Amino acid sequence: MTNPPRQRAAVPRCTEEGGSLRPSDEGNAAPPSGPEAQSCTVVLAEDAALFRAGLVRLIEDHGHRVCAAVADGDALVAAVAEHHPDVAVADIRMPPTHTDEGLRAAVTVRAEHPGTGVLVLSQYIETKYAARLLAGSPSGGVGYLLKERVADVAEFLDALRRVAAGGTALDPEVVSQLLRASRRADDLDTLTERERGVLALMAEGRSNTGIASALVVSPGTVEKHVASIFGKLGLPSGEGDNRRVLAVLRYLGS
Amino acid sequence: MVATGQATAANAGSPGSGSGQGQPGGSGLAAGAGRVLRAVLGAPLRARSRRELLFCLAGLPFLAPIPVLAFFAVAAFVWDVIHPHTPNLAWPDMLAGGIAAVSLAAVLVGTGAARGLGGLWRKLAARLLGMHVAPLPPRPARSAAGWPAALRDGPGWRAIGYLMLKLPVGLLAVYAVFFWVFGLVNLSFPVWWLSFRNAPAGGHLNPVPVFTPLGYWGQGTFRVATFGGTLAAFAAGVLMLLAAPWATRAVVSLDRWLIGGLLGPGRLAQRVHDLEQSRALAVDDSAAVLRRLERNLHDGAQIRLATLAMNLGMAKEKLGAAGDVPDADAARELVDAALRDAKDAIGELRVLARGIHPPALDSGLSDALATLAAGSPIPVELDVSMPVRPTPAIETIAYFCAAELLANAVKHSLASRITLRAAGHAATLQLSVSDDGTGGADPARGSGLSGLRQRVAVVDGSLTIASPPGGPTQVTVDLPLRA
Repeated sequence: MTNPPRQRAAVPRCTEEGGSLRPSDEGNAAPPSGPEAQSCTVVLAEDAALFRAGLVRLIEDHGHRVCAAVADGDALVAAVAEHHPDVAVADIRMPPTHTDEGLRAAVTVRAEHPGTGVLVLSQYIETKYAARLLAGSPSGGVGYLLKERVADVAEFLDALRRVAAGGTALDPEVVSQLLRASRRADDLDTLTERERGVLALMAEGRSNTGIASALVVSPGTVEKHVASIFGKLGLPSGEGDNRRVLAVLRYLGS
Repeated sequence: MVATGQATAANAGSPGSGSGQGQPGGSGLAAGAGRVLRAVLGAPLRARSRRELLFCLAGLPFLAPIPVLAFFAVAAFVWDVIHPHTPNLAWPDMLAGGIAAVSLAAVLVGTGAARGLGGLWRKLAARLLGMHVAPLPPRPARSAAGWPAALRDGPGWRAIGYLMLKLPVGLLAVYAVFFWVFGLVNLSFPVWWLSFRNAPAGGHLNPVPVFTPLGYWGQGTFRVATFGGTLAAFAAGVLMLLAAPWATRAVVSLDRWLIGGLLGPGRLAQRVHDLEQSRALAVDDSAAVLRRLERNLHDGAQIRLATLAMNLGMAKEKLGAAGDVPDADAARELVDAALRDAKDAIGELRVLARGIHPPALDSGLSDALATLAAGSPIPVELDVSMPVRPTPAIETIAYFCAAELLANAVKHSLASRITLRAAGHAATLQLSVSDDGTGGADPARGSGLSGLRQRVAVVDGSLTIASPPGGPTQVTVDLPLRA
């Protein structure tokens, strides 16, 4: 049982708050191990209590720690300042105005705490919101997903980890809107069907291995596709995952 | 029934219904007489009377530019210049004067001065009488052919009409002001008589004329030569001052009527204005309804379904990919939670759907109102008589009015009974909700009643509230049968 000592060690950075946190009580529900399963510290903001409780459970069940679960944007910024988590998860529409306070809180968090990634959840996809998020955080470390993506637990946790590590996670819906609305349609038409699929997955923020497993092909095949895409679109290749994502997004948005 | 019971009680209290009840009736009469006396004696001191007098006074300088006056002035001038020896006005002079007056009026309309003068009066009325007349529609645009644009300015000509009629009204105003001025003068008779009329005995004193509205203008209505006589003048002054506020009010009422009819935007323009306003309200209202609907979906069914999906996702994980279930208990618990979320989502969608269009309304307003009444926590007496079915839109509005009024009564009135009536007449549907609660419902305070009033106004309906503090409350909604 490794949880208690780890939690105690984390006290200066991460304290438990109220009853929203579920104590991990089962020895056999140990977090999945492996290189991908490093534990993150999380702060989350969501005004719907049931959904918030579910998220806390989901995140904690997989070996991460939820330092604070709050219900509005200001509380999120305060909790991030207090706990310095790896990642903050925020609903976009929260009290008091029920418009975009989650998004504003996300931009504030990215500006004031570069060490904390922000994953924004919403029931709607607004390309404008994604653009604001990316503009407010030009080096990545942000994510924007539809709320129902949490039903796909593994993918959601993958996105959470990517954002915590400074990567990007964009909802497929955002990416397809970007592709549809892109003014580079002529260039995009030169891509093969498969290449377009790879481009979309890249734009979502996935690594080559992630793309390979999503398409059920070998990483080598993905690499070949990526090289071909970069060649056709005239993008500089050979960069790291995150910079590659940003280059793709810049390309699609320009 | 509550309302009827109270009406009977009120009748029983009226005078002449029997010896036993004569007393309360008499005291009521005395109280009424006291009220009238207070109103009569207090009238000259009221702020309203002061403002009305000011309105009359303010009008006097503006009598000068009136075209009728100008007509007489021009006619007199012409008469003097052309026929210095003719004793009476001849018709050519009249004609010349008339043409001059019409030309002057045309100049006033053409330059916009008529509108300006009318506007001045409208402002005075707003300032002193609290009478807010909607501004005039804009002047007609310049057109290439036909009459010059300036002369097609209907409201401008109406303003001229007002200024013409202002002459007789202005004379009446002078008469009303006379009540005030000479009322005060007469009141002061005894004072200055004692101060200045202490001439040596045997000296000759001219009798002083006392002016009252009753006549003999030049010499006064009567003359006073002794101190005793000044007391009669004093009494006349008191009576004139008591009558003065009513004289000014009568003149001002006449003027109000003229201002409303001639300086406003006109009936058609007013109707257009009203329709524009109610259309704006309808648009705002439907936008607000849609926003509320989205909000309810977002915060209700949508988030429940997202939670449901999350719980199922977690349960699926607990069930494992194949073969043995790693964590059956947790999976079962998560599926339970998902089931609960699904039921909640269904319930919320049902409430939402009913809020959009109650299914009971499909079989008519009376059925829908019966369903509504049956669901109320306070007993509702229902009385529906609808010989003709209104159009669906009217039924929907009536239904939501009834629902909101019932909800208001339940929430605020502390009533023990509510009566809901809906009666169809020839072309109108009258809906009324009354309760025996604490009263004091005020559309200015809650947005609910004013919101209802706006929604009803969209179809030219009206909403009236009778809710004295202490109750009972009756809200009546009149709607046309078709919209």
